[in-house]
Amino acid sequence: MELLCLEMDTIIRARPDPNLLCDDRVLQSLLTIEERFLPQYSYFKVVQKDIQPFMRRMVATWMLEVCEEQKCEEEVFPLAMNYLDRFLAVVPTKKCNLQLLGAVCMFLASKLKETRPLTAEKLCIYTDNSIRPQELLEWELVVLGKLKWNLAAVTPNDFIEHIVRRLPLPEDKLALIRKHVQTFIALCATDFRFAMYPPSMIATGSVGAAICGLQLDSADQSQWGDSLTDLLAKITNTEVDVLKECQEQIERVLVSSLREGRQQQQQQQQTQRGPSGKGLDELDQSSTPTDVRDVNL
Amino acid sequence: MATHGRILSVLKKGPARRNLFGPVDREQLQVEYQNALQKDLEEASQRWGFDFILDKPLESSDFQWEGISGTKVPLLYRSHVLYRGDAKGQRVAEATVNPTQGRAETSQSEKENVPHTPERCLLNLENLEKTPEKGENAGVKRKQTNLTDFYQAKRRVVWMPRKSGE
Repeated sequence: MELLCLEMDTIIRARPDPNLLCDDRVLQSLLTIEERFLPQYSYFKVVQKDIQPFMRRMVATWMLEVCEEQKCEEEVFPLAMNYLDRFLAVVPTKKCNLQLLGAVCMFLASKLKETRPLTAEKLCIYTDNSIRPQELLEWELVVLGKLKWNLAAVTPNDFIEHIVRRLPLPEDKLALIRKHVQTFIALCATDFRFAMYPPSMIATGSVGAAICGLQLDSADQSQWGDSLTDLLAKITNTEVDVLKECQEQIERVLVSSLREGRQQQQQQQQTQRGPSGKGLDELDQSSTPTDVRDVNL
Repeated sequence: MATHGRILSVLKKGPARRNLFGPVDREQLQVEYQNALQKDLEEASQRWGFDFILDKPLESSDFQWEGISGTKVPLLYRSHVLYRGDAKGQRVAEATVNPTQGRAETSQSEKENVPHTPERCLLNLENLEKTPEKGENAGVKRKQTNLTDFYQAKRRVVWMPRKSGE
């Protein structure tokens, strides 16, 4: 006899609450409090001696991979990066402890946002057991102290629905837009240049980049009235120029990481094929997208 | 997350399980942990003008500190919560089967209701000479359940193995 388990491994979610999403006060409150949760300094110049921006990128990439592999909620990674930046802005940290810090930040963010949080054991395995659960739990306390137990930070993800709702977007594209926006937000979180930006600006820039990337802004110009950027800027009270610059920066980061990935692939292929494979590589290169609009995620 | 997949495949350097920055110096880490806790404690002492190790106010304190009996603070803030909660749990369980309460439900389903009636509080008090609840409830007829009641009631369920007859 076969045993059949009908228990689903799905996470039950609350439906989007119109009382929260349609009330302008919620967005205004988010905008008011978001600055409180920004890191205090651009810490690589002031606080940190041992760690460099590229190390932050390494640990961020690793954290994103863990969150991805564990199918964490979207906001877990950006929230964990917020904890990491806020901690690094006040505590000089050694390179060898940076991964421990990253694990602790994921541990906390996951506990705050998920119904089934990541376990300490699992996170330690992801560090290839270079840290122990006991150490993770000890440093959790230290990190909490440094964050003053202020864990419910505002993340760019908190703004997505508020922004998207206020735009005249085709219903059938919303899911796709959300996904792209979430990806851009995650990408921004891996890049230190965005660490001091208010979350609303990252969210607004990401929405702009997603809509432009999907070429939804050019489909029917008349429906926008104002240009997309003007409309976006109004929603989150951002200055148009600043927002434009942010969106362009997001697009640049996307293009450069896609390009970097391509080069890596090519290097791998080249080492596999040997020098005779060169002709194919050139073909590959010609298909590298140069415009973010051509990027098909 | 499929889109993440694309971005990820670009950023990816290998399997997610990896050690990024070499071995961790455990002894050094432990020293730093102790130092960090020590520093936190010192900062808290400065902030609140209180010596948390000797458990008395600092002379330089900006605050006026006044000692109160541990029984006057919510259970959550007391030391040995585990032990006390457990002891309390046993007593509550005894009280629950008292027929004078006239409750038909099983104690399991009743757990949130335990402190509802003043009689029950008094009844508990008789049995609970050393439990924290005493000071809080003595002589006060409470009409409404509060959060600490719920915690206490819950603790019993969590920490006390129950017999099937209860």
